[in-house]
Amino acid sequence: MADSLSPACTPLKQEYDSCFNVWFEGYLEPALSASATDAQRTAHYQRKAEEFQAKCGKVYAEYQNCIQGAVKQKGIEPLLQQAREEHPLREPPPPLPPKDSN
Amino acid sequence: MHFFSQAFNYEHPWSHVVVGMWHKYPNPKCSHVVSIDVLDRTVDPKTGIIRTERVLGCKQKTPGWIVKIFGGSEDAFVREISFIDPTTQNATITSVNLSLSQFATCFERIHYSPAPNNRTSFTQTAEIQARMTLWRTAADGLEKWLVQRFEQNAHLGKLGFTDVLRSLEERHTEAAV
Repeated sequence: MADSLSPACTPLKQEYDSCFNVWFEGYLEPALSASATDAQRTAHYQRKAEEFQAKCGKVYAEYQNCIQGAVKQKGIEPLLQQAREEHPLREPPPPLPPKDSN
Repeated sequence: MHFFSQAFNYEHPWSHVVVGMWHKYPNPKCSHVVSIDVLDRTVDPKTGIIRTERVLGCKQKTPGWIVKIFGGSEDAFVREISFIDPTTQNATITSVNLSLSQFATCFERIHYSPAPNNRTSFTQTAEIQARMTLWRTAADGLEKWLVQRFEQNAHLGKLGFTDVLRSLEERHTEAAV
């Protein structure tokens, strides 16, 4: 697992990553059949989102508490703000034009 | 502006590739990536889409001339936004450099989607662009400074030459007396 940009945050970062990875691997398992209704889908994702918050929310908050300060200290904050303004990317970008691949 | 693109398939199913995304670093083949931090992550309870904002710290030897002209150091940071849509099985990752971004940007997009025979299609595009507007601002500033300096010098030149002419005139007058 990669380190944090701030050595002081690395233990919390790795704990959070491990928590996310365990949750994520379960997340992608096809718990829903292709014929699931929208309502079933929404209920499923709602449950999964809550589960993630319950499992990893605490360590995420602690990690953020550490890393957000480190980002400011490193002087990355203004560059980050500029990048966020230029490309908010709140929604998934449209798919790339199809490319020929084998 | 420069473009780069490539596309190929990974011989692994989409779900494995997307799980693997979070395990890519540290990687001895990509040792320039030295740190990764999640700065924001949300799971949309309606769509199931996971959005993650990360900052990657990179160490890469910068050519001396770039450091001389633009400053910067061996530490460079990249902002990465990824979306994983478990319903449509699309993963997109968009990255842009933070370091030296006032001069040029490298905007990269990666897309993973399922391909036939349990494979995953990978497409990558990048646009590398110098910030022309900023160059223009700098050029405008330089131009303005040059104009001001020219006007100042022209004014001083006039004053100076007037003095010379006056003293010549005076000498001439004195000689005539």
